[in-house]
Amino acid sequence: MPQFFLNKRLIVLLVSIIILVALIGFSLRERNQLSWPEQFIKDTTGWVESLVSKPTQYVVGFFENLQDLQNTYQENKQLKTRVDKLVSLEAEVQRLKKENKELNDVLDEKKTLSDFKPFPATVIGRNPDRWHEIIMIDKGKKDGIKQNMAVMTAKGLIGKVKNVNQFSSTVQLLSAMDPKNRISAFIQGDANAYGLVEGYDKEKKLLLVKRIPYDAKMKKGQTVITSGLGGVFPQGLLIGKIVDVKPDQYGLNQTAYVKPGTNFYDIQNVIVIKRAMTQPDLSQLGNEKEGDL
Amino acid sequence: MNKFLLPLIFLILFIFESLFIQFLPSYLFDSQKILIPHFLIVSIFFLTIFGNEKRGIVYGLIFGLLFDIVYTEIIGIYLFIFPLVTYVVSKIMKVLQTNIFIGSFVSLIGVALLETGVFEMDKLIHITNMNFMNFLEMRLLPTLFLNTIFIILAAYPLKRQFEKFAESLRAD
Repeated sequence: MPQFFLNKRLIVLLVSIIILVALIGFSLRERNQLSWPEQFIKDTTGWVESLVSKPTQYVVGFFENLQDLQNTYQENKQLKTRVDKLVSLEAEVQRLKKENKELNDVLDEKKTLSDFKPFPATVIGRNPDRWHEIIMIDKGKKDGIKQNMAVMTAKGLIGKVKNVNQFSSTVQLLSAMDPKNRISAFIQGDANAYGLVEGYDKEKKLLLVKRIPYDAKMKKGQTVITSGLGGVFPQGLLIGKIVDVKPDQYGLNQTAYVKPGTNFYDIQNVIVIKRAMTQPDLSQLGNEKEGDL
Repeated sequence: MNKFLLPLIFLILFIFESLFIQFLPSYLFDSQKILIPHFLIVSIFFLTIFGNEKRGIVYGLIFGLLFDIVYTEIIGIYLFIFPLVTYVVSKIMKVLQTNIFIGSFVSLIGVALLETGVFEMDKLIHITNMNFMNFLEMRLLPTLFLNTIFIILAAYPLKRQFEKFAESLRAD
């Protein structure tokens, strides 16, 4: 028996398990900021990765362009028919925008929930083990990126900024399984319906929008956008289109299956979005006693 | 032999894994299979098997920590499992003959152990809710397939490199 406990390897194993649990606990807790050694390592590898990744992107882009050329004729035909409609639509959008601005001026509203400032960024890396859906982008604190900002591509919302370093940051995709990853969504239709983006069906590749009231009527093909009520994201970012609607387990709510506008596995360039309207601090919302609790 | 060659090889593979997953054509992802490159750990296994055992475990530790900080942002999982699996591989090789076929096969077993270990740990801390059968079918088998291709391509050059390295260590 004493020999068993004196076994050096066993002690090393036990000590390393204790360290493992401590480290995981340390990194799982809510962190506003990574520690500086982590930031330094991430920035360094981010720099090396962008050196390799950007030329690769050009090469890959070249071959993709070649593929695109193959069906140019067909696409051109289809697009021409749509351009005609676009002109009238554009005129109407212009008119509505102007009207909206005038009305806002009358109301003396300077900022609305839908105003935002975009920061373009390039994807320089992706987590190779696909448990954590994380991508790395080449803009950081120096460029004005902050934690929890919305991140989208031209086709729609893809996630939020998880951690910020000096020169790079990490983005957590909507497909990640994280209970904190909830976004207030709004379903465009005749009647307003609100829900929360909660989770991702990996097998069907669809986002789940839960907690929609049971009496809300939804159809296939309706557009889902951010509502801006969550406090961090601006209003009106495209999330996706409804594919299927199901009542939830107890019939009190409905769950909509939403096909995201972007393919989460084909992301090259992203836009980080800073909301113009600031959110009040939590401390300002409640009185001080509540803050202490 | 050049002192920096070994860390450089591992560093290149470390970055290559991320690029591989980013630039792999997206239609491969749309299917139900998930392919995970484990090229870095495979070469660390080869270093353990054909080169130096201690160096292998130390490199496992260093690159496990790097992997955690840079890619997963949860420190501990890979930091723990890279050296552990490397150690297990070195113990298995003590019983078996050291040649390129058995080495490759044991490396594959190591990759399977690594994947399963990470899966169980991630399940424990609620990163995933996949069940084991789905994991086996969607992730483990395609991943083993991908890494077999890598081993077939890289086994011989890696083996030669690490044997040279082991000789240079002995000469010192």
